[in-house]
Amino acid sequence: MRPQAFDERKRRLRARSEHVLRMAAMDDVARRYPSRTVPSALSHEGPFWRLVFVPLYRRVPWEVKRNAMRKLKMTAQGWPEQSRTFGEPWRPPAGEPLKRPANGSTPRSGA
Amino acid sequence: MSERLIVIGGGGAGTAASTIAKRANPDMRVAVFSEFPDIAYSPCGIPYAHGREIPEFQNLFLSTVQRYVEDGLEMNMETTVTDIDLDRRTVTARNKHEGFDKLILCTGFHWEQPAVPGANLEGLHYVKDIRRAIEFDKELDSMKRAVIIGGMWLGVEMAGALARRGLEVQFIDEGPWLLSELVDPDVAEPAQEALEKLGVNVRMGTKLLGFAGGPDGRVRAVSTSAGELECDVAVICLHKLPNTSLASSIGLSLGTTGAVVVDDHMRTSAPGVWAAGDVIEVPHGLSMLPISGLTGSHAYSQGRVAGANAAGENRTYDPVWIPWGFMSGDYTIGGFSIGETLAEAMGIPYVVAKGVGVSRARYFPGAARTHVKLIAEPGTLRLIGAQLHGGEGIKERCDFLAFVGKRGATLEDLAWMENIYSPPIGALYEPIQIAAQNGLAEQKARQREAVPA
Repeated sequence: MRPQAFDERKRRLRARSEHVLRMAAMDDVARRYPSRTVPSALSHEGPFWRLVFVPLYRRVPWEVKRNAMRKLKMTAQGWPEQSRTFGEPWRPPAGEPLKRPANGSTPRSGA
Repeated sequence: MSERLIVIGGGGAGTAASTIAKRANPDMRVAVFSEFPDIAYSPCGIPYAHGREIPEFQNLFLSTVQRYVEDGLEMNMETTVTDIDLDRRTVTARNKHEGFDKLILCTGFHWEQPAVPGANLEGLHYVKDIRRAIEFDKELDSMKRAVIIGGMWLGVEMAGALARRGLEVQFIDEGPWLLSELVDPDVAEPAQEALEKLGVNVRMGTKLLGFAGGPDGRVRAVSTSAGELECDVAVICLHKLPNTSLASSIGLSLGTTGAVVVDDHMRTSAPGVWAAGDVIEVPHGLSMLPISGLTGSHAYSQGRVAGANAAGENRTYDPVWIPWGFMSGDYTIGGFSIGETLAEAMGIPYVVAKGVGVSRARYFPGAARTHVKLIAEPGTLRLIGAQLHGGEGIKERCDFLAFVGKRGATLEDLAWMENIYSPPIGALYEPIQIAAQNGLAEQKARQREAVPA
């Protein structure tokens, strides 16, 4: 498959899966707040997505899903990995510590 | 001859990129190409100028094209770049080839258009260009009824603004609650009430079916699942879509959102080409999934990074945690990262910590309730999101929470944080502290329940 066609498929897969997962989540959250919501008019996807994809996605632990998304290159490329994984206590970001320049001023980083 | 940088786009990202590049490397020749006549104005202020909270559109202009010229930039306004040749290092504008050594794409976004009959009628308004907004503002004087379509924040702002202007406003959205893509129902409820207090008729769960035109070809009604709504204008506020036509034409990699892929230096897949603003996607700090269509402040920061790097510096941009906030009528809502609904959709495990405090000392005039909902990881109780609503101080709290969330703060940290107590500006108990304390107490109670007696 040509790279562009593959990228287009990934885009469509993401858009559709996000939509069905959001719809399912809205239904669940709406049940928690019945007096504050009305029935949604958003379009529902077909039975495969609602009855197979959503329950399957929900059964898989978040960390496994995250790893799968990374392997499928659905996560951002060319960015340093997060300084910590899900559930791990915080630690300082990896990389070289900021060095104070010879003139003694505070080094600047980022935007 | 010194290097020449061409920046395509004169919005927040393009303005920041060009000025920072020139400042970082004054020898560099920096040229800006924009299809619009104006630069350095605040499009985010447009709804408030329509609502007359900002008395004049002129107040939205922060600088002039001439000022940028005086700063040494070559400004090519109302000049659309139609082609880029990466091999020859040229862009084509007005049938003229312009050479460059480095290129920054800041081509922004266009609004999603509804795919329904009548979407090409006159009288459908999209909020973007300030000149069009100024014309629209004059037209508003003779209008009586408006329908706002789409539940993103701009729709809420425009609904409030047009209601203040005295129009009869109907707000329709397909979602089950106001701003359902962004906020949870408990935060949406007071936001909706605030709009209704201004006289806006909010119709959630309402599907747009089409637009009906009059004999003059202008929209006269919006056809919905709740019936036909007569109107003089329909304001469309759907999603922002990245404007990637130029990027695609030169084969830049596009990501899973459809926006241009960049690395943490704002470099695209082509050497010597950077991109910034609404045309790119950047990773969310929690999931590292790329997202696009962020705020003006994000575009501006990304432009600064792209401009500095194009000028030879070495700057990086962090994954985003997206502090956000805006007014719904007279009420403020805000947050950062994710809420319950999005955590649920992504399948991210979470616990909720809720609390209500006051913005000033309880006895001080003007004290307003501040509602805080914190979203944290189970176990570590690390902060991964928040949603707030109330009066004053919501914006500052959201900025603070996004920053400490990015740095790994936990509910424990927030429960014992220091805070300012000064009756006119802050209460003894900080609302964030209260929410975190409540969250910790709930977790402890759950742990006790889980341990058999």
